[in-house]
Amino acid sequence: MELLLQTLINGILAAGIYALVASGLALAVGVVGIVNFAHGEFTMIGAFIAYLLFVGTGLDPFLSLGLAALVLFGVGAITYLGLIRPVLAAPELNQMLLTFGLSVALQNIALLLFGADTRVVSTSYQGATLSLGGLSFGVPPLLAFGLSVVILGALYGFLDRTRLGLAVRAVAQNRLAPGLLGIETQRVYLLAFGLSAALAGVAGVMLSVMLYASPTVGFAYTLKAFAIIVMAGLGNLRGVVPAAIILALAEALVSTYLPGGGGWVEAVFFLVIFVALTWRSWRAA
Amino acid sequence: MRKVWMVLLAVLGLAGLALAQTTVRVGVLLPISTVAGKAALNGVQLGVDQVNAGGKVKIELVVVDDGNAPATAVPALTKLMTVDRVDIVIGGLASGVTFALSGPVKQYQPLFLCIGAASSVVEQAFSDYNRFFHYHPWDYHNVAAALEFFKYLYDSGARRVAILYEDGPFGSAGIQTYRQQLERQGYTVQAEPFKSGSGSFTAILTRLKGFRPDILYWIGYDVDALPIAAQTRQVGLEPKLIYGAPPAWPTGFEKNNLSNDIAGMTAWLPSVANNESRRFVNLYRRKFGEVTDEYMAPMGYVIALSLGRALEAAGSTDKDRIAAELAKVQMDTPFGPLSFKPSDTGRTRFQGFNQSIWLQFQYLEGSRRPVFPPNRAARPLRFPGNY
Repeated sequence: MELLLQTLINGILAAGIYALVASGLALAVGVVGIVNFAHGEFTMIGAFIAYLLFVGTGLDPFLSLGLAALVLFGVGAITYLGLIRPVLAAPELNQMLLTFGLSVALQNIALLLFGADTRVVSTSYQGATLSLGGLSFGVPPLLAFGLSVVILGALYGFLDRTRLGLAVRAVAQNRLAPGLLGIETQRVYLLAFGLSAALAGVAGVMLSVMLYASPTVGFAYTLKAFAIIVMAGLGNLRGVVPAAIILALAEALVSTYLPGGGGWVEAVFFLVIFVALTWRSWRAA
Repeated sequence: MRKVWMVLLAVLGLAGLALAQTTVRVGVLLPISTVAGKAALNGVQLGVDQVNAGGKVKIELVVVDDGNAPATAVPALTKLMTVDRVDIVIGGLASGVTFALSGPVKQYQPLFLCIGAASSVVEQAFSDYNRFFHYHPWDYHNVAAALEFFKYLYDSGARRVAILYEDGPFGSAGIQTYRQQLERQGYTVQAEPFKSGSGSFTAILTRLKGFRPDILYWIGYDVDALPIAAQTRQVGLEPKLIYGAPPAWPTGFEKNNLSNDIAGMTAWLPSVANNESRRFVNLYRRKFGEVTDEYMAPMGYVIALSLGRALEAAGSTDKDRIAAELAKVQMDTPFGPLSFKPSDTGRTRFQGFNQSIWLQFQYLEGSRRPVFPPNRAARPLRFPGNY
């Protein structure tokens, strides 16, 4: 029983960061209508910002969250204005090739600047644990989970309770009607893409503490984020958190209870994509 | 008139010296964007400086990046052979890349001085190529050295080993054989695969708590080092030793408190106490302004020095004469004595080092210290470690 409870805790704690990365991706897909393959590279930039600030000034990575979010919002906004906006009316394949190209370019720029090495920060709490009734809670995943809950709560609050947030949701539901009602869709797109990148950057900062900074750090999480948004339904922001929890729990249960389960973890994610897409096709037919 | 004769004699003398000095262009094919590749290149350049300073031969390097990928390495080698027209190539750091190079190398027939590529698959691939000099030990040498350490740990009271291995070719190749060999030593073994780079170990480590391993042995990449160290503590696993076997460790890992007491294997550290090692460290510091603990740096240095000796002895740029002289080289190096013999399996003719160069280290107070074998240890092994 204790093993099961610990497994469930492991899964739920992992879900926080999955949801954070996936929410950013869901914003880009749902509001702007862009499948952003460079989302993982925005995460990577966040990780490097935290790492460089740590090495240069000794700043604890969690204290660089705000700066990373601002910088990444700027990166997202520039990317939108310079690259995404011109192809909004282009075929989807062109848009995907563009973001795929951006992903490769950003990874190679990072390789040129920092090399392929894995870099780690050093904080006093990376191995810290809270124990409760025989159950262990790792401090970094707990912090990341707590922060993810706060940030996603703020995001949903913004989307539900502010005029701008309602405008974002309106554009996500229908791209033409909000324009007829006086909502400036281009500004909404800019805001959504900037927020999407900022969320990725914040996740990157957390990854720098829990994992490492390297040019490829965002790749695995982007793959998981794609699985999550597919399961939630493309563009369905509200479905992201439950989907992240289900997938993270499935991952933890497979790792714990299936012999050799550690090697099946990624298969779980892609099985979910496969099942979700097939099920939707049958339902629509 | 006398002055004219003197000038003429001086010019002829200089020309004679230039003719006597053998100059050879050598291709260097390394993943120079990685820590190990850059260290290897630095070592080669340092060794070439030493050879050229001797004045008898002159080596000119043509350096190209193999991108740590077969798709980059093969065209890079083709360029070295067809555009730069070198006859000697130093390279082959990663096994996967070197395996992919085996075909083009056999096609262009250079003298290939291989710096890394420990996989037996590479040994097989070059088994019919007589211009292949492999300096680095093979993977079976690595296993033999690690097993010697595990025997010592068994004698120190360790009984259960949990092996975490990444499920790609690097981690899973030979895992069953490894497991059997540990069981033959008396260990109870539980082996679990994982996805390298996933950062998700809590579930597997939680399950391993029931097994209560004395040794947590992980075979993966640098990206897995910190998550394993952190999550082992987070789930309260408490093994007596965490032993890692990645090809390289993360930058800055030694400064992280979580690295303390973690053990691993390397071929060389700056604290290795022999004259050649000390000489190498001094020369490296003078040229690059820092000390490296990447063993690929002295490996590159040794390759350049041994090539210099062979060139001097051959007195020619003919690659077969150079190869014949290289086969006879016997020299002291930062790793210990170097001479070429057929590999243990007999597949390749010129094998440089074997398991004797491997040493076990432990991260202790912010740096890696040799702890095994006892005759090369700078500090006693901290066992059990404090995790």
